Amino acid sequence: MIWLTWRQFRTQAVVVCGLLAAVAVALAVTGPHLVHLYDTTVKPCASHGDCAAATESFMNNDRLLQQLGQVVLAAPALIGIFWGAPLIAGEFENNTFRLVWTQSVSRTRWLALKLGLVGLASMVAAGLLSLMVTWWSSPFDRITDSPFSPSSFDRRDLVPIGYAAFAFVLGVIAGVLIRRTLPAMAATLVAFIGVRVAFFEWVRPHLMTPLRALVPLNAQTGVVLGPAGYASGHINAADWDLSEQTVTGAGRVIGENGGIGPNGSLGFNVSPNGTLTMQGVGTCPNKAPVGSSPRAGAPSPAFQHATQECVNKLGIREVLSYQPIGRYWDFQWYETAIFIGFGLVLAGFCFWWVRRRLS
Amino acid sequence: MIWLTWRQFRTQILVVAGVLAALAVVLIVTGPHLVSLSDAYLKSCHTDRDCGSTTNPVMGTDGKLESGLSDVLLIVPALIGIFWGAPLIARELETGTYRLGWTQSITRRRWLAVKLGVVGLASVVVAGLMSLMLTWWASPIDTANANRFGVAVFSLRDITPLGYAAFAFALGVTAGVLVRRTLPAMAGTLVVFVAARVAEATWVRPHLMSPVRATFPITTGNGIGFSLTPDGLQVMTNPPNIPNAWAITSEVVNNAGQSPTAAFMKSACPSLANGAQAGPAGGGVRHVRVPGNGPGPQAFQDCVTKVAAKYHEVVTYQPARRFWAFQGIETAIFVVLALLLAGFCFWWVRHRLS
Repeated sequence: MIWLTWRQFRTQAVVVCGLLAAVAVALAVTGPHLVHLYDTTVKPCASHGDCAAATESFMNNDRLLQQLGQVVLAAPALIGIFWGAPLIAGEFENNTFRLVWTQSVSRTRWLALKLGLVGLASMVAAGLLSLMVTWWSSPFDRITDSPFSPSSFDRRDLVPIGYAAFAFVLGVIAGVLIRRTLPAMAATLVAFIGVRVAFFEWVRPHLMTPLRALVPLNAQTGVVLGPAGYASGHINAADWDLSEQTVTGAGRVIGENGGIGPNGSLGFNVSPNGTLTMQGVGTCPNKAPVGSSPRAGAPSPAFQHATQECVNKLGIREVLSYQPIGRYWDFQWYETAIFIGFGLVLAGFCFWWVRRRLS
Repeated sequence: MIWLTWRQFRTQILVVAGVLAALAVVLIVTGPHLVSLSDAYLKSCHTDRDCGSTTNPVMGTDGKLESGLSDVLLIVPALIGIFWGAPLIARELETGTYRLGWTQSITRRRWLAVKLGVVGLASVVVAGLMSLMLTWWASPIDTANANRFGVAVFSLRDITPLGYAAFAFALGVTAGVLVRRTLPAMAGTLVVFVAARVAEATWVRPHLMSPVRATFPITTGNGIGFSLTPDGLQVMTNPPNIPNAWAITSEVVNNAGQSPTAAFMKSACPSLANGAQAGPAGGGVRHVRVPGNGPGPQAFQDCVTKVAAKYHEVVTYQPARRFWAFQGIETAIFVVLALLLAGFCFWWVRHRLS
């Protein structure tokens, strides 16, 4: 039975092995050079003061191979479509299941071997691809903002293995239920994308309770200055920011993303007698020094000082809700485990259906 | 025959029509809001300096919808090729139903022509409708981005998706005719289609028309940087941002057209070339903080001044006015490829298939 499964799966396995080997060669040839380039241009850029140019130049290297991230993204779906959906549906459509079911092997064993071998191959293929791309992309990933960003998290490390396991079993289930290959393939694609998008939108942010931080609002830029000194709305650039609300001293939410009101802007008006008003909040307790109001160009230091004092005295702060970068591996493991869990549940359903419901 | 084709294709076309209708509703509901946001913003900001894309409110609005729709339109031609093109003939060959079709009163040629014509036309119409809707919906965003040649814009707007869909469909049919088995034909279609698209965008599209040259002075704000390599200090440049144009190359040369030599760089920028500014040797420092976001340390500024005195930046680019020419040429290339593949299919079905 193992031999039969291997025989039916041989061509596809060989093709995928060949593709993986080709990717491995391409990445092994170009990878070390990228690390060298990173070390000579981007790493010392801060002391040269040319980080913007160095980073942009570096990101222009190997544009084509950088697209492999898309392949990692697509691989689980393709596994579900081309390996999962036809696995049983193909047997039904051609009626070959009748031959197999009348041999000395029980249905359960037949299904278990098919699911186990091809499912394992799916996870290994997705895992190897993800491993290679993760290794190769590490210099680029050090430049991009956060490993939590959807263009990075979904295509690196462990999660592709979980997606592959889930997509494969989803394809098998679609084939068992629909019993025709092509509709099962189309249904697999739609269902897989639906589950992935729904999980990303509604489940992933809540896998662990987000941390909250209360930070002062910067009156000039509208963004917070975290303890690490980053001049933007987060504690650490690598964190995953879920929300950023502007609150008054009384705790009332008056805006988001470093601003006040629906447009997220931050503004001050000053009258000729020095009375300072914060737009959307009210009159400031302090006054702006006479003649300090900005006419054109950058505001004067005295005016900047007055506006910041107003923000501080009114007690306006920012509430950040975020997942710290230290939880990256927790999130990778949870998401992988959940998708493998989905896959196991579906596989259980598959067994039940094949034993009880199929004639 | 038309009735048979329609009958075989009915379910799929109804599903796709339903999806398109749902999409149209979503876009009609959200679209006018984007337009009003953009109009209000463009009215309130007057000078070019103020009306930057980063401050335009349409940039953050419906960002997820935009990227989702772009992804859908990106894969639609491939899906058409896989699910409509590849099984069209391969399925008949695999299940033997072609024997019935061929022994009726209709010639093989007519049988193939009607199938190719009806389903191929449907493919082009589906891709065209989607592209039309997305182009209309995303126009405020595209205006703000000012990057119409960008990979995520050029191939997902206006008429190029029509060409991709026609090509993918014909490719799928050809793969099915040659391989004669549905699943391998589908997989082959996907691989060849992705390869063709990537190869075209990487190696063909930049050379469709010979690029325009322009010269820019070298300044610190112009995306200039230096790279310390084993061969000495080298100048790195990034093309300046010309709205809606497509920068192809940029290099630093003097009036004679020569790049800065290692010797010149060493004499002009001794401190950078010796790595004296780079902190402890070997790059042990990872995060050296530079005060402010400005021009950076004096050595860098001096170096740029000295290089700028003798050298300038030469940029080759495709200007914005060529957008429609590129759209037309690219679509034509893929439509012609599709017609060639279709012609091959006719020849193969008549002469090679038993």
